[in-house]
Amino acid sequence: MRSSPKLKPGIWDALVALIVLVMAVGCACAVWTGDSDGGGELEAVVRMDADGTDTEIRMRLDGLNRVERTVTSNGYTLQIVLTETEAWVEASDCPTQDCVHTGHISRSGQSIVCLPARVIVQLVGGDGGDPGVDAVVG
Amino acid sequence: MKLTTKQLTLCGVLTTLALALSVMENQIPLSAAIPLPGIKLGLANIVTVFALYVLGPVQAMLILVARCILGAVFAGNMNALLFSVMGGVTAMLMMILLSRLPGLSVYGVSIGGAAAHNCGQIAAAIISLGNTAPLYYLPILLGVSLFTGALTGIIAACLFRALAHTNLMRG
Repeated sequence: MRSSPKLKPGIWDALVALIVLVMAVGCACAVWTGDSDGGGELEAVVRMDADGTDTEIRMRLDGLNRVERTVTSNGYTLQIVLTETEAWVEASDCPTQDCVHTGHISRSGQSIVCLPARVIVQLVGGDGGDPGVDAVVG
Repeated sequence: MKLTTKQLTLCGVLTTLALALSVMENQIPLSAAIPLPGIKLGLANIVTVFALYVLGPVQAMLILVARCILGAVFAGNMNALLFSVMGGVTAMLMMILLSRLPGLSVYGVSIGGAAAHNCGQIAAAIISLGNTAPLYYLPILLGVSLFTGALTGIIAACLFRALAHTNLMRG
């Protein structure tokens, strides 16, 4: 064996854990309470890679009843549902399904990310509010 | 770098074991307990920690890269290769650095590696998408890495204790 590992946790291990915890809290403060791109009305921004071209769809949620958009990006098809208060991915043929499992997002700054499909659904604008924790890498 | 037959055999066995653990943990529905999709225990990291101490950093890195490539091939998802390589290599570099600090045990090394793995994967997601939206996931991932890193540290420590008297641990 090249080097003997220390097998009993000590103060330095606690320090590593503390540094990770501080990083987590610092990141949360920076990304969850940062600028949510906006003011004004709540908008859903859908960014995708349609036929190799970066495409962006913006849609105001105010007064929206229920809109279903089927988008094809990077070879995968996602069914995105937008209502006056929420957005979610209803169905997707991507292998991970994380975008579907993310569930509903309702506050400005929240995102649904589907990595295989290269699709990002993000809520921007509105009053900002408490951005919460709904972004998930899919 | 010259490998003995024993080291080469151990590299092969550890690569296979890491691959098996990686496939196995995909079957564990961790997201049912913690409703955050994409979360993994990082069981294959036990092998990385073990290889780092027993074989050395170069061999541990080779095992890691082989596991990432074979994992992507077997899963038929080459898109995942960038994420597993970036996460794995970032974790490996962090663990090499931390393992050289005299005061740290295998627990601290594992926790640091788990946190670095998540940072690497988020970096890969940002590069891949050209958008910083995946950053929203980083605080949760860092928090979870405390538990997953400690878990892999506990298992790795048990492994070292169990194998302490064997030829395997004497080079």
